[in-house]
Amino acid sequence: MAQSANAANAGTEFVFNRTFDASREDVWNAFTQPGHLKHWWGTPGSSIEIAHHELKPGGLFHYCMKFPDGRAMWARFIFREIVAPSRLVWLNGFSDEHGGLTRNPWVPSFPLETLNTVTFAEQDGKTLLTITVVPFNASKEEAGVFAGGIAGMKVGFGASFKVLADYLEQRS
Amino acid sequence: MHDHLSSTFAALADPTRRAILARLALGETSVTELASPFEMSMPAVSKHLKVLERAGLIARGREAQSRPCRLEPGPLKEAASWIEEYRRFWEESLDRLDAYLREIRAARTKSKTNGSGKKRSRTKSKE
Repeated sequence: MAQSANAANAGTEFVFNRTFDASREDVWNAFTQPGHLKHWWGTPGSSIEIAHHELKPGGLFHYCMKFPDGRAMWARFIFREIVAPSRLVWLNGFSDEHGGLTRNPWVPSFPLETLNTVTFAEQDGKTLLTITVVPFNASKEEAGVFAGGIAGMKVGFGASFKVLADYLEQRS
Repeated sequence: MHDHLSSTFAALADPTRRAILARLALGETSVTELASPFEMSMPAVSKHLKVLERAGLIARGREAQSRPCRLEPGPLKEAASWIEEYRRFWEESLDRLDAYLREIRAARTKSKTNGSGKKRSRTKSKE
């Protein structure tokens, strides 16, 4: 994918696959319509309130994740590519209530925005979803932080990571 | 807040440093021993060790010559749990999506078997 070039300096991307027993149209609609999104999108344990949703290139999806303890956290998409029902690309970031970008609250040096690409592919009546996340316009430091975090998620750690994981397990 | 996660991740970005950490998970090691499997000069290994030490991922002994290195589990654990959160964000969102898509389909099947005879209505959740 051409967008991956943005991550060339990091040499790393986060890729995630999932197959759904549903038609491609249904999965696409669930991803792109606010009435559907509010039923499933957002950090685990939160429910989302949608302030704005405009599905067009450059359009904004601005929402607030509300937690049972009263905390609230805003985030946003800026849509880049909308190819129904096969490909959706957006810039993903945290934001304030006015839609301005904010830093990742846990890892301030995480890239301000990531470029998220989701492809929807038909497969024997099911839908294969592939999600790719790469840093967007990241500084060298931010790209490094992304790569370090992502490397931990990938099998890239391989056998070594298993050793580390076991080690950490023993210490808990 | 947890700003040190940033330096932990920066340190973890390098494959050699990850390999060093994996080696240290097996036990405390001298720098010489550590350097041998990497085909690297001692200064190069020392440089990596400095980054790891600054990030709090390893600690080094005081013994002048060998200065043995050992893994400090704290920051690595914190990093691992943040990474786990990020992965979980996607995993659980997609679990919810999966459940929601099933709900939609069940509602649609139901309205069909009810024999309304109408064309498939706009999919909605139960409520």
